[in-house]
Amino acid sequence: MRKSTYIFLFCVCAVAAVAQMPKGTYGTFALTNATIETVTKGTITNGTVVIANGKITAVGTNVQWPAGAQVIDCKGLRIYPGMIDGGTNLGISEIRSEPRTNDFNEVGDVIPQIKALTAVNPNSALIPVTRVSGVTTVIATPEGGLFPGTAALINLYGYTPDQMFAGFDAVVMNFPSSSRRGFFDRRTDDDIKKDTEKNLKQLNEVWEKALQYHKLDSATGGKLEYYPELQALLPVVRGQQALMIEANAEKDIIAAMKWIKERKLKKVILTGVAEGWRVAKEIADAKVPVVTGPVIALPTREYDRYDQAYANAGVLKKAGVKLALRTNQTENVRNLPYMAGFAVAYGMDKSEALRAITIEAAEIFGVAHQLGSIEVGKSATLFVCDGDPFETKTNVRHVFINGWQVPMVSRQTQLYDEFLKREPGATRD
Amino acid sequence: MKKIFLLVSAFVVTNAFSQVEKGSVLIKNGTVLTITKGNLENTDVLVRDGKIAQIGKGLAAPSGIKVVDATGLFVMPGIIDAHSHIALDAINEATSPVTAEVWEGDVINPFDMDIYRALAGGCTASHAMHGSANAIGGQCQTLKHRYGTYEADALVMEGAPRTIKFALGENPTRVHGGNNIVPRTRMGVEFVIRQAFSEAKEYMEKWDQYNKSKLVKGFRGTPPAYNLRMETLADILRGNIIIHCHSYRADEIYMLLKVCKDFGIKRLVFQHVNEGFKVAPELAAAGAMASVFADWWAYKFEVYYSTAYNAAILVKNGVVTSINSDSNDLIRHLYHEAAKTQKYGALTDDEALALITINPAKQLGIENRVGSIEVGKDADIAIFNAHPLSVYAVPQYTLVDGVVRFDRKNDAADMRIMPDPKENLEMATLHEYNGHNHDACLQNTEFLFTAKIFGAFNQE
Amino acid sequence: MNFSQTSQRLLVACGLVAFAWAALAQEALPPVTRTYAFTNVNIIQAPGRKVDLGTLVVKDGLITAVGKGIAIPPGAIVIKADSMHVYAGFIDGFSRVGVTKPKEEQRERLKDPGNPPPERAGITPQNDVRYALNPADKSIEELRNLGFTVAQVVPYGNFLPGQAAIILLGGKSADQMVLQSRAALYSELTGNQNIYPNTIMAVMAKWRELYRQAVQAKNYESLYATNRAGLERPANDRVLEAFYPVIDQRLPVLFRSERILEMQRVLALKNDLKFPVLLGDVKEAWPLVPKVKASGAKVFLSLDLPEEIKKDDKKKDKPNAEREALEKRKAEMIAKATAQAAEFQKAAVPFGFSTATVKASAIPAHVRRMIAAGLSEDAALAALTTAPAQLLGLSDRLGSIDPGKMANLVISDKPYFNEKSKVRYVMVDGELFKLENKEARKADGKVNAGGAWSYKVESPQGGSGKIVIKDDGKGNLTGTITNSTTNRETDLKNLEIDGKTLTFSFDFAMGANPITINVSATIEGDSMDGSMVVGQFGNFPMKASRDPKN
Repeated sequence: MRKSTYIFLFCVCAVAAVAQMPKGTYGTFALTNATIETVTKGTITNGTVVIANGKITAVGTNVQWPAGAQVIDCKGLRIYPGMIDGGTNLGISEIRSEPRTNDFNEVGDVIPQIKALTAVNPNSALIPVTRVSGVTTVIATPEGGLFPGTAALINLYGYTPDQMFAGFDAVVMNFPSSSRRGFFDRRTDDDIKKDTEKNLKQLNEVWEKALQYHKLDSATGGKLEYYPELQALLPVVRGQQALMIEANAEKDIIAAMKWIKERKLKKVILTGVAEGWRVAKEIADAKVPVVTGPVIALPTREYDRYDQAYANAGVLKKAGVKLALRTNQTENVRNLPYMAGFAVAYGMDKSEALRAITIEAAEIFGVAHQLGSIEVGKSATLFVCDGDPFETKTNVRHVFINGWQVPMVSRQTQLYDEFLKREPGATRD
Repeated sequence: MKKIFLLVSAFVVTNAFSQVEKGSVLIKNGTVLTITKGNLENTDVLVRDGKIAQIGKGLAAPSGIKVVDATGLFVMPGIIDAHSHIALDAINEATSPVTAEVWEGDVINPFDMDIYRALAGGCTASHAMHGSANAIGGQCQTLKHRYGTYEADALVMEGAPRTIKFALGENPTRVHGGNNIVPRTRMGVEFVIRQAFSEAKEYMEKWDQYNKSKLVKGFRGTPPAYNLRMETLADILRGNIIIHCHSYRADEIYMLLKVCKDFGIKRLVFQHVNEGFKVAPELAAAGAMASVFADWWAYKFEVYYSTAYNAAILVKNGVVTSINSDSNDLIRHLYHEAAKTQKYGALTDDEALALITINPAKQLGIENRVGSIEVGKDADIAIFNAHPLSVYAVPQYTLVDGVVRFDRKNDAADMRIMPDPKENLEMATLHEYNGHNHDACLQNTEFLFTAKIFGAFNQE
Repeated sequence: MNFSQTSQRLLVACGLVAFAWAALAQEALPPVTRTYAFTNVNIIQAPGRKVDLGTLVVKDGLITAVGKGIAIPPGAIVIKADSMHVYAGFIDGFSRVGVTKPKEEQRERLKDPGNPPPERAGITPQNDVRYALNPADKSIEELRNLGFTVAQVVPYGNFLPGQAAIILLGGKSADQMVLQSRAALYSELTGNQNIYPNTIMAVMAKWRELYRQAVQAKNYESLYATNRAGLERPANDRVLEAFYPVIDQRLPVLFRSERILEMQRVLALKNDLKFPVLLGDVKEAWPLVPKVKASGAKVFLSLDLPEEIKKDDKKKDKPNAEREALEKRKAEMIAKATAQAAEFQKAAVPFGFSTATVKASAIPAHVRRMIAAGLSEDAALAALTTAPAQLLGLSDRLGSIDPGKMANLVISDKPYFNEKSKVRYVMVDGELFKLENKEARKADGKVNAGGAWSYKVESPQGGSGKIVIKDDGKGNLTGTITNSTTNRETDLKNLEIDGKTLTFSFDFAMGANPITINVSATIEGDSMDGSMVVGQFGNFPMKASRDPKN
């Protein structure tokens, strides 16, 4: 072929490549000359991280990497563990105002058997937008009702939900709320009390049944009739699976902790905890881990200090609460590091904030052997950036999820490329 | 914990008489980000009677003047939010697709805690807008955050140009089309606007004719009917009102550019304009401006194909761009929203800060009064403990007309002006913010829908 | 003695103490004369003008004589108002007393909610509240019993529901009640559900548009009237016509102005369109008294007040600084609301009162709270009498006790603002209403059983008489029961009162064997309702009522 043909073909291919989403690459990588924030074992300067077979195989300053490894010079750059968001609707909602694209709120009050993982859309346009910012792992959680379903931890790379599943799922419970839900809640005080009592009663009835079911199931060796709701609660009752309990008002947090204590539940995570700062010591004493957020939010009460929501996580941490952050977002989960930044600005220790979106989140979700820090043996789920990841100026250069180098392309970057200098430009009228 | 609850009486409520309270203060030794004339280190700003009187090093303090020590702090112009719905008791008159005659200035609520919270985020002025339920909505009102007054009209920014809200796309078509009223499609939106302008043109001509005839001696004639809606639309045609149009899709933005060209309307600002980047050259050529989100997208179909790089692309194509909040949460950290353009498009510090200061001021027609730190301008100033584009920046003081209206160290936790004397203190009212709040543009329209659309605003 | 069962019963029944029930005679016939003389009464003619123990004569609905040593006309009914206090009847500046609430009708959905017909849009300024007046409405009596004799009332409805009228709280027909029709144009800044105008801002825009259209229409009508030839005839618009007297400044506009922002919006309209304004049921004007004064608007402050914080002896488990701060602020707001009237007094702004949103029975307590917060008693009285009379342009006929003025009076046994004071008589337009004497309830919630009761038993033989109970104030009750037939007085035993229930027993000697009769009754105000149990002979219903003190 003539040289010009080659050039022509190359250009065509190049143009074609830009238009589609490039593929991720699996293989062996050496990220060299980097500042490595291991999170658990301090900071390593001028270090190298070696990735092979989906895992981190070496971390350090004097590290060898296998021949044939793709070397990425990370001079002036930093490596962090992939960020973990403790609560989102990512993957199970596409366009919030279009009901047919929302798959997080199923009909029914008590449906713990409904699985969020099933409905995760691995090809959601929102996922690439999120992961190019360094958030690699999120909890996708169902909503609505007393037991809305089972939430799942997913990594943001994979073509099927199972490929994305990150090894943790939990039954979700919305603890009956005792407070007025805001200006639009027009119920009388008595009605609110009645509703709360009714919901609490329902909760306890369900739990009683679940206990019964557990006893009978044990006695009959698992030969009971099909009862999906109670079957889904079995592992929770038996302490094998975690229960994520959403409670935000001060009274509800206290009531939820009492409820947990009475039933001697050990595998419990409190989520939301917006008013946690009011009862931080109690939460710390109860040793219940917490997923809280969004940090960037309004205070819960009209007479609260304006920055109470920003400061909440910091107050909880100072009291000794084990803590992960969540954005509670769908399409802007990418703002997780900025939420952490705000928490720091309003009182949280910077290293604690980083832990809250890496190792501590991993520990709370029982996946710390795989995720949350840069350590040999863990999953190669990390990102490389050119500064403090909490700062907005910082750019993420590379992202790895389970050893796959993720394309740094999303619909948003593609639109930027196409329209920064549009061709043709202004139309002549 | 106790000091959070301490009720410090440092919170002073302005006297009923003084409508616009003006202050004098010397801000000493800060890093002054003027926006228009570069950054000045270790510089003082002297404010007298609400205006910036002097900028320089080592200024003499007139005796008795309040002094704010800004050593180590960053002094920037108060942030201006070009799209907001705070401090309003009504947002959408959604009973008709054209409601130009209503005016948000009639329903200002000076007690809205969101005003104080905006001040706590360095924001000193906001464009209180009608919602996006109607193709042609009501007139908006530019407000200054003079929090602490009992008087609604004390918040009005005197002399600010008149503005009006238009809306294209999904919102008006959903609100009215759902009721079998035009518009139900984007085609209908264009027609509604053209029809309104055409009728207004006729109205204007009839009145002009009548007013001319009246001057003739002995004239006896019937005056044309008086119609406030037509009067307002005629004022738009006369160039007396700036159109701020809620819009998302590139084709509808393009449509309005053409309609305005046909009717000779030059003062046009697009709001949200998530797909503005797709028609940036056209916007720039028409001199239309854009007020956008930093990174909101995908909450509606019409923003599914938008990008956080929108602001940067618009700026680089010569469109005067601002970043707005359309949210009582975002308005508190517009400095952070603006900073996102440094990630999505590598805007410089100056370019990013302009998005929340001088640019929105231009879009509201108040750039001669606010938007930069220059001698003669209003002393609307925000003081941060770090560069405002850093995520770690925390606003320390916010001044409006030279009066300190937010003081992080000294303000009490409970900043309500008129707590409800019938309040039940046993029952906590929680304003649960779950991150799903999106544009407040459809408030007051709940009665038109039977299905829940935006979770927080469900009423019926 | 040998009595058969039946005769024994008969005897018992006969011998049963016969009880009579003093029934209250209902007034069915018109009064004998319309001339009354109140004697030996303290006459507070107006705040600061008092006649001690004088005489007041009214004739045919007008006050004819006031003073000491006044000759009582021979044909007059004399009311011995010994040591009582008489004031000019109170005037309520704004409420809906006596106005029938329209039924909720199901109206068909409008195809074009943006262009509704005026009656669907709340735009009916031409309507007249007179057509909705109901003289038998309970609210009239409730308010009158507190001393109110005149009220300015408005139609139900939002935005522009119609015209107000000043009515007398007495009279047998709607027309008889009306003292002045079309007293004001009434408006509230509330929109319509689902129909234009829906929001407050649309209501205000529409107000301005209607007013300007009315000005234009009125001007055109004048032009047309000078020479009608060659001109299009003016459109007849009943809505716009309703504004003409307002434009002429002959008719004021009465606005509901409860909340502070509502009031400011009303004043903004007044400022724009320049019509005379009455502010009704004002609750939150206290931060802006100078502004209200400067506007020239006429003010009727609300008689409704926020409840005071109950001093609960709830055990506080831990001292909560936040809660204390919140309570302090709440208390401050309550105090400010209560002191509002005093603020208006201090600023020398004349004001009346409005009963629009207050429970009638709470009015005296609220006025006393306002007085405790700084309102002088004279100013309070003025706000109930002379000031509203003046604000409503009725000073020539109402507001004070002076010869020639209308006979609207309120008589209380003690000075009206005393805590224990009771209204005894109210006179409206010369018609006298006497109020039942209700004993005050004890502070601990127990009813007062003391007094002389006239009872009646429902049994074949009837039975009536008097029960006299004495309460020594320390919770000890003693009493006697008397049979009106035999006039035998018997002591009561085991007298006890528990909440509202009174129980006692007494012995009835019949032959050698005394029979114990047990009585249990519920006391409600001045009525007793219960039963007597006579051994094994049965249960007989009993009713009693307390005799008035004098």
